[in-house]
Amino acid sequence: MKNLIFILVLSIFSCTKNSSTSSTAGAAAGGEKVLNLVVTADVKGFDPNQASDLYAGNEVARVYEGLLQFHYLKRPYQLEPNLADGMPTVGDGGLSYTFKLKKGVMFHDDACFPNGKGRELTAEDIAYSIKRMGDPKEQSKGWWLIEGKIAGLDDWRKNGNSDYTKEIAGIKVIDKHTIKFTLSRPFPQFLYAFAMPFTYAVAKEAVTKYGKEFVNHPVGTGPFITGKYNQGNQIVYTKNPNYRTVTYPSEGESGDSAKGFLKAAGQKLPLVDKIVVKIMKEEQTRWLNFLKGNLDAMGIPTEQFTNVMVPGKGLSDKFKKMGVMERKSVGLDVTYTAFNHEHELFKNNVKLRQAMSLAQDRDMVNKKFYQGISIPAQSITPPNIAGHIDGFVGQYQNLNIVKAKELLSEAGFPEGKGLPEITLHYTYNTKSRQIAEVFQQNMSKIGVKIKPVGVTWPELMKVVNTKQSMMFSMAWGADYPDAENFLQLLYSKNSAPGANGSNYSDPEYDAMFVKASMMEDSPERTALYEKMYKYVSEKVPWILGFHRVGYGLSHGWFKNYKFTEFNHGVAKYYDIDNAAKGELKTKL
Amino acid sequence: MLQYSIRRLLYIIPVLLGVCFIVFFLFNVVATDPAAQQLGKHATASSIVELRKELGLDRSYFVQYLDIVKSAFTFDFGRSWSSHQKISDILMNKAGASLSLTIPAFIISMFLGISLSLFVAFYRGRLIDYATMLICIAMMSISYLVYIIVFQYVLAYEWGLFEVSGYESGFPAFIPYVALPILISVVTSLGPDIRFFRTIMLDEIYQDYVRTARAKGLSEKVILFKHVLRNALVPIITYIIIQLPFLILGALLLESFFDIPGLGGELLRALNSSDFPVIKAFTVLTAIAYMVFSLVTDIFYALADPRIKLQ
Repeated sequence: MKNLIFILVLSIFSCTKNSSTSSTAGAAAGGEKVLNLVVTADVKGFDPNQASDLYAGNEVARVYEGLLQFHYLKRPYQLEPNLADGMPTVGDGGLSYTFKLKKGVMFHDDACFPNGKGRELTAEDIAYSIKRMGDPKEQSKGWWLIEGKIAGLDDWRKNGNSDYTKEIAGIKVIDKHTIKFTLSRPFPQFLYAFAMPFTYAVAKEAVTKYGKEFVNHPVGTGPFITGKYNQGNQIVYTKNPNYRTVTYPSEGESGDSAKGFLKAAGQKLPLVDKIVVKIMKEEQTRWLNFLKGNLDAMGIPTEQFTNVMVPGKGLSDKFKKMGVMERKSVGLDVTYTAFNHEHELFKNNVKLRQAMSLAQDRDMVNKKFYQGISIPAQSITPPNIAGHIDGFVGQYQNLNIVKAKELLSEAGFPEGKGLPEITLHYTYNTKSRQIAEVFQQNMSKIGVKIKPVGVTWPELMKVVNTKQSMMFSMAWGADYPDAENFLQLLYSKNSAPGANGSNYSDPEYDAMFVKASMMEDSPERTALYEKMYKYVSEKVPWILGFHRVGYGLSHGWFKNYKFTEFNHGVAKYYDIDNAAKGELKTKL
Repeated sequence: MLQYSIRRLLYIIPVLLGVCFIVFFLFNVVATDPAAQQLGKHATASSIVELRKELGLDRSYFVQYLDIVKSAFTFDFGRSWSSHQKISDILMNKAGASLSLTIPAFIISMFLGISLSLFVAFYRGRLIDYATMLICIAMMSISYLVYIIVFQYVLAYEWGLFEVSGYESGFPAFIPYVALPILISVVTSLGPDIRFFRTIMLDEIYQDYVRTARAKGLSEKVILFKHVLRNALVPIITYIIIQLPFLILGALLLESFFDIPGLGGELLRALNSSDFPVIKAFTVLTAIAYMVFSLVTDIFYALADPRIKLQ
C-alpha cells in the first residue's frame, strides 16, 4: 500500500511539471499591462482551418491574421485591409480579386524556420493557406466558405492527392507580394472570407514540421505570441516584439468619441503586454472571479441579471459604485421554428403557417427566457445589417389569437379539427425544452397539437437533413454581415441537406435571391433585400423567434471594449489602465 | 499466489474483449453520426461522407472493432477528434492535476474516517456516538453541489481564505488551489465513510474473540487497535482499493468549478463533443484499472488475513 501511494504521489509531480503554463495573471508588476479574459468552453486548438467555433476563432485570431479585417469602430460593419496593402482590385466583371500584400510582415520566431527566426510572409503563403482549406486530408471546417467559388479549386480537391505544387487556375501568385483569385461565378460576399479565421495565413514550414500537432503549435504573424498549447485551464499570450507598425483607428461611428473609444487613436498596437485567457466553464466561478477583479469582463450570469440590471435604468447602484460598465450586444442572429415545406401539411398552406405564427406569444417567451431584452424578429434579417427594416412590424409575427383562429379555419382546420399532431424536434437542454413546452401551450390555444421531441444536435441534423422532421427549432448566427447569409436559408437550391433545412421552395423568392446574390453592395441591392425582408414576413416560411440581445460587464480599468459581432483579432485594441485598476480594486 | 495472479491477469483478456465489444457497439454502431456533429451548421452530404472517411467510419464494422481491440492492448488510443492531440499526451498532462486533488483528499478522508469511526465505536451507544451519526446523516443529506457552491462563495469569495479557482502545476505551487476542493471532498466523504467503517468495527466488536479478549482482562484500547482493527482490515481494504482507479478519473464537478485542468473535465468535454476516441480510452482504461485493482485487493486479503488462501 505504501509503495502504491508513493508511486501515485510520484506520478503527480512527474506529470505536472510539463503541464499548464504558470502565470501570475493578476499582478501587474512594473506597470506591465495584463488583460484577463475568460472563455466559457474548451478551446479546440490553434489551426485556422479548424476554427469553426467562436472560442477557437478568437484564440486563433490573436496569433494569426488574414488579408482583411472588420473596422473595429465603424458601423455598419466595414472591411479594411490587414495583411493586404489596401483593398483588392476587382476585375473581370466581379470575377477576379487581386491583392497586394504589405511588405515586411514577419512570421513569429519558431523552431520550424531556419535558425528559429521567423521569415517574411509572401503571396505563396496566402496561396498555400487557401489551398490547404481545400485539401481533403485537412478536413477544413471552413471549406463551405469557398466551395464552388474559386476556379479550379474544387477539381483539385476532388483529385484528392493534395499536390500543392499543382497550378490552380483561380489562385495565381503574380509576384512575391501579389496574389490573384479568380472565381468561377460572381460572389460579391467573397471578400468576407478573408476576414474569417479559416483563411488566415499559416506557414508551410510549421504545418510540415508539426504535422498532426500543428493545431497545438501556433505560428502566425499576429500581435500576440503563445507557446505550445496543451489544453490547460488558461492560455497566456505575450506581445509580439516584432509586430509591424499598426495604429489604433482614429475614426469610428458617432458617439464613439463620447464613449472614449477614440482616446487611443494613433497609438501603436497592441496596447497590452500580455493576455491571460482563462477557461472557466462554470458561471459561478466566472462570476466570483469577476467580482474579485481577476477577470476584466464577462457576460451577466442569468440568475444575477435582476441583481445587476435595474429594468429600464441600466446598472444597479452597487455595480456603478464598483466602477463596472455595461455593454449591450445585439446579436447578428435569428432563432426560428421551421416548418418542413416538403411535408404535405405545410406545403403551400400559408394560412396554417400564418395562424400558428400568430398564436405564438413571443413577448411571454422573451420575458421568461431572454429577460425581456431580446428583439422579437419580424423577418429573417437581423438589425445592424443592410436589408433589415428598423421599426417594421410584421402582420403575422405578433400575438393575435382571434385572427389566428380565423386563418386556421380558412386553412381548413376549424378549431384544429382534422389537423394531425405535429412533431417538433429541438436540441435537448433545459431551456430549449421549456421553450418548446411554451410553444406547445401557445399552439394548444388555437387547437393545434404539438409534440416536442428533444434530441441531440447530430440527431437533429439527421432528421432535418433527411427531411424527416415536421417542425424543428434552430438558430442561425451570421458568418459575415450581409443579408445574403440569412436569405440563403430559404433559397430552394439550398434545401436539405443544405442550409435551407425547412426546404422552402418558392420561385418568386428564388428569383429575387438569385438576382440579389449577383449584385455588388448598392442601394438597389439593399432595396431588394428589404423587399425580401417584407416577403418573408408575409409568407411565414418559419415561425420567427428572436434576434438575441445580451449584456456584458467590464471593469472600469478595461478600455476600448467596444461590442462587435466579429471579434476576431480585436484584443490588439484593448487596453488596461493600471492606475485605475489599483484604485478600483479597492472598491470591489 | 503467483499462479493465482497470473491466472487472474489472463482472465483480463476475455473481459477486455467484451469491454471493447460494448464500447464498439455503443459508439460505432448505435451512436448517431459524429461527423454531422463535428461539421455543425455547415455540414453537407458530401462533407459528411468525406469526414467519415477521414475518421475511419466508412470501414467495415469488423475492422472498426479490431481497431478498438488493438488500442486496448497497445494502449495507443490515437488522437482526440477535437483537439487532435495524442490521447496518451492528454492523459499524461491531465492526470497530474486530477491526482494532486484526489489523492490528498482520499488519504485525508480515509485517515479521518477510520480514526473517527474507531472513536465512535469505542463510545458506541453513548451520546457522542449518536450525535456523530446524526451529523453524518445530516451531512450526507446535502447535495454535493451545494457544498461546492456555498464553500466557494463563502470561504473563497466572502472570507478570502482560499483561491476562488485556478491551478498551477508543480509542487508546491498547486497547494493553494487544491486546498478548498480537498476540503470539500473530505467533508462530503466523511459522512458515508464514518458510517461504513463504524458498522465494520461494530461487527467485529460483537465477535466472540473480543469477549474472550475482554475476559482475559485486555484493555479496551488494545482490543480495538490490536484485534478489532486488524480483523476489520479486509472490508476496509476492499473499500479503499476499489476506489483507487477512480481517483485517476478525477473529480468532475470539483475540477469544473475550481478550474482544475484534470481528467474529470476532459471526460466531460469528450462526452459533450462526441470525442469518441477519448471516451473509448477512458472506458477501456477504467475497465483495466478496475480489474487490476480488484486483483490487488485479493492479494492484500491474503496478506491481511492468513486464513485467506489464494487458489
